[in-house]
Amino acid sequence: MIKSLIDGPLWYFSLAVFCIGVLWQLARIVFTAGKTDLSVARGSAGSGAWRNIFTRFLPRKEIAPQIGIQIVAGYMFHLGLFALLFFAAPHVLFLEEHILGFGWTAMPHWAFIVASQFAFLGLIILWLRRMLNSVGRLISTLDDHIAAILTFIVMLTGCFALLKGFSELRLLHRFTVELLLIYFPFSCLMHAFTFIPSRAFTGAWFGRRGIDA
Amino acid sequence: MIHRESDVRIPTLLLLMCMLFLQFQVHAADPPPPPGMVSTVPGAELWRKVRQRDGKSTDGISQVKGVDAGILINTQGDRWARFRINKLSPYGSIALAVVFLVIVLFFVLRGKIGIDGGLSGRMVHRFSDYERIVHWTLAIVFIFLAITGLILLLGRPLLIPLLGKEAFSLLASAGKEGHNLFGPIFLISLLMMLFSFVRRNIYEKGDLTWLLKGGGFIGEGHVSGGFFNMGEKTWYWIVILIGLLISISGLVLVMPNFGQSRIIMEISHVLHVLGAVVLIAVSIGHMYLGSFGTEGTAEGMKTGYVDINWVEAHHDRWAKECHEKNLVISAEEYARILGKKAESGELLATEQEQGK
Repeated sequence: MIKSLIDGPLWYFSLAVFCIGVLWQLARIVFTAGKTDLSVARGSAGSGAWRNIFTRFLPRKEIAPQIGIQIVAGYMFHLGLFALLFFAAPHVLFLEEHILGFGWTAMPHWAFIVASQFAFLGLIILWLRRMLNSVGRLISTLDDHIAAILTFIVMLTGCFALLKGFSELRLLHRFTVELLLIYFPFSCLMHAFTFIPSRAFTGAWFGRRGIDA
Repeated sequence: MIHRESDVRIPTLLLLMCMLFLQFQVHAADPPPPPGMVSTVPGAELWRKVRQRDGKSTDGISQVKGVDAGILINTQGDRWARFRINKLSPYGSIALAVVFLVIVLFFVLRGKIGIDGGLSGRMVHRFSDYERIVHWTLAIVFIFLAITGLILLLGRPLLIPLLGKEAFSLLASAGKEGHNLFGPIFLISLLMMLFSFVRRNIYEKGDLTWLLKGGGFIGEGHVSGGFFNMGEKTWYWIVILIGLLISISGLVLVMPNFGQSRIIMEISHVLHVLGAVVLIAVSIGHMYLGSFGTEGTAEGMKTGYVDINWVEAHHDRWAKECHEKNLVISAEEYARILGKKAESGELLATEQEQGK
């Protein structure tokens, strides 16, 4: 009963909520009309957008020493999670069989383990910094904590199911993934889709005004 | 209902048939018993050799490449398994239970250890964000490893009666995967801890006095301490040294493909469990003293600041330094650092709008 629910209707429901929700949020951003900028352009908006997309991958040197651990942990977590999500053998197989119809070469098992260790350590450090740094704590919302904890639980249940010997553990992992998919479009997790447009928009705005930021 | 995906029936049957066949072959080649000694047990000579009861190494010949590939039955492994089941597991659980009970008893008899004069509200910065992140990362990973490790060590006698075999096997499988995955994270956290705190944990003059007075429990008068007192330093070195022992022995266990023999892995396992039990036992005491056992201690790892009265009670030499360098801040300054004022967002926004 629970198995068929998790593998069936709940999976399709969560996938639908995720897809429609993400598209809705992106459309909302794209189609929200902003004021037309009537000022004379002092620089190129396009080059400003591109510059901002790439330069923001590194912290500004003025603040880098204060947020060193945040930067390192951030990269550890995001790169680890990216590798796990798209290159872990069970995920590649799942995407091929259930969603895309084609697959690609998966990571070897040792790389999978290392990537997950990076992701776990990075996420723990990031969440602790949010909790322990007085400014981080003040600007954090309930959404930030739920997103971090939910992501951690999804990763943890995935690691529990590594042995593939128990279908219950796979179901538990899938259930937590479904919860994450439903929560995703309405949370700060949307930054996975919005961080590039956001950087581009800000960069274009700066570029048009000739601001070197 | 648990579904095991691997079906091992056919390979097991084939293996049994091969063993039976081999047994008949070896029986035919058995040398005649020495005069005056007649064995009444069929195949006794064979099994005596297989189990190496004469203490001699009787490695067989195998096409399989690898350490111990020529050994059919590892008698040392038998001894290790008995030691694990009959000694490590029960005595380990008893040790942990005793420590827990002693701490409960101590709390009931002594209560929370307070500070003379209470907390003043004036604070001193003790730990940076980075140091607290390192501490809590290690703590979270350690607690996870302790729970999953204890499930694996004590699960059979303690959890199977409660959960049943099927649920326990599921829990143990999940625990084992989690334990193996988080082990190396513990090592990384441990190294971060080593490099962050080592400079202030070198033993110095005056530490021995602290030890001789039992940290204040023996005799009268105040026990002198620096930034870290003798007890804290000793806990630090227990964590580092036993943590390294556990980590290295854990890596030996989790990576069997590096050519280590079974005896090395069995010794590693025993050291791993012994180290873990000691570390868990001492950490229960640390958690107690660091949280509700001692007034004012938890603040240090929560906010990074501690009350000056707490410093004077437990670390008088450091307190003197704080006063000399004028490091003590007021309660208002402390609240400002924690953003207490900014928490009332409306007030801050109004002030900003008015250009204040």
